[in-house]
Amino acid sequence: MIDTGRATLTEAAAALARGELSSEELTRDCLARAHRLNPALNCFLRIEDEAALAAARRADEARACGHPLGVLHGVPIAVKDMFYDPARETSSGSEIRRGFHGAATATALARLRGAGAIVLGALNMTEFALGPTGHNPFYGACRNPWNPAHIAGGSSSGSGAAVAARIAFGTLGSDTGGSIRLPAAANGILGLKPTYGRVPRTGAMPLSWSIDHLGPLARTAADLARLLGVIAGHDPADPSSSRRAVPDYEAGLGAGVAGLRLGVPGNFFFDGVEPAVAAALEAALAALEEAGARRVAVTVPAAEHLTELGRTVVYTEAAALHGHWLRTRPQDYSPQVRARVATGVGIPAAAYAEALQLRALLLRRVCAEVFDACDVLVTPALAIDVPTLAATDVGGGASMWSTIAQLLQCVAPFNYLGVPALSVPAGFTPRGLPVGLQLVGRPFAEATLLRVAAAYQRLTDWHERLPPTH
Amino acid sequence: MQDRDAVALDAATVAALARLLGYPPLDAETAARIAAGAGNAVAAVRATATVPLFDAEPGNYLAELERLAGPEP
Repeated sequence: MIDTGRATLTEAAAALARGELSSEELTRDCLARAHRLNPALNCFLRIEDEAALAAARRADEARACGHPLGVLHGVPIAVKDMFYDPARETSSGSEIRRGFHGAATATALARLRGAGAIVLGALNMTEFALGPTGHNPFYGACRNPWNPAHIAGGSSSGSGAAVAARIAFGTLGSDTGGSIRLPAAANGILGLKPTYGRVPRTGAMPLSWSIDHLGPLARTAADLARLLGVIAGHDPADPSSSRRAVPDYEAGLGAGVAGLRLGVPGNFFFDGVEPAVAAALEAALAALEEAGARRVAVTVPAAEHLTELGRTVVYTEAAALHGHWLRTRPQDYSPQVRARVATGVGIPAAAYAEALQLRALLLRRVCAEVFDACDVLVTPALAIDVPTLAATDVGGGASMWSTIAQLLQCVAPFNYLGVPALSVPAGFTPRGLPVGLQLVGRPFAEATLLRVAAAYQRLTDWHERLPPTH
Repeated sequence: MQDRDAVALDAATVAALARLLGYPPLDAETAARIAAGAGNAVAAVRATATVPLFDAEPGNYLAELERLAGPEP
């Protein structure tokens, strides 16, 4: 019998398939944990007991009738509150969309359900996914299971905390400037931002149509591979989704890292890294070298400009998406998010167009100068210790803005480029907060990133540690 | 960052652009914050656009990602 509080997503799926327990039993267990922990963590905006249990019973009936639903049959998961579902509210963490019901179910959510997943509820997030800390003035901040005084990261704050707290076996998030990888790093779990276009965005709240990515968070590389395999692939309703074939992401997980070249950037990404984080990353690189990987030095071209180039695009597109509400309901935004979505007002249209033109040029340079020299680029996911909620809140003092810039330093550059990036747990700082190692690949190299993460997880047990709030 | 101080975007200009778009008046702090954020963003474009972009077609970035990927599975 599995320990439901420790089992991974793939282990839970296997136990369900073997009939060791029913989906209803597993779902009840997760719901009980959600109700017990949510008052302290605030990772759920809505826990949907009735709908989850009804879906679990249907899954059990299907299995009893010999009708397997898919690779997530009966497995409890949860989704950031930005995936539309006509049957449920989708608030996008905002006051403006409180009570909103989308016209059709988001493709990624429909695919998860189609594979048999049970949705436990809607997860907390930063208002309109615009912010890296997980503060939310309308629904309250999400708290970090490793220390509730610290941020869970954002914007997919609940998606990170719910997995770390062992409430959900996997979650769905979005990433426009690090919003999957930061919560993954801050909560000691894995998060994958796939290549732009790998996962269709149909029915997901938009922030920036050129830079938005959807992806999974979970506790192991195998879990991520399972979830990505379900949600990836072309959707005719999203012309920006790729028609490229979806590989079997689970097939290559055991291949190891022998012969792989790990690129360590000599510029930008290690600037200002705290000593404890640097030591953890050095130990991770040494472990991978011991397993047969080879370290190579690389320089990422224009690294210091990539985040701002991305912001040029994001701010402009966000201002367009929010234009009507900025004119008619400005009081319904928090002041911080209102200022962020309105920043596009100050960006000339020519600068926006140039930023889009530059993207392909820079991608070609990065592929030639980085990914021709290495198979995977390795950086910190988060260069600093996970900060406190107080230090990153409004009025958090003079250091607040520099702390927020440091949160984004290593993750945001890869949104502009659209290349895949993954954060995997790589230890803990002396304060007991998680450290994340970021793996970045050339376009559509998700399988390689998952292979490296899986190899690293076989060498370490960081992902098996339980947070004190568990 | 970059040379934004050399050509700064000022809060009054931001406030005027916001009015042009029909936004309610911005308070001085918000306008200043927007000016700083937008200024940083535009400065990055200026610093990076060092070659002619006359033939750069931005319309199909997905195709560029697919072209630069490894072989299909």
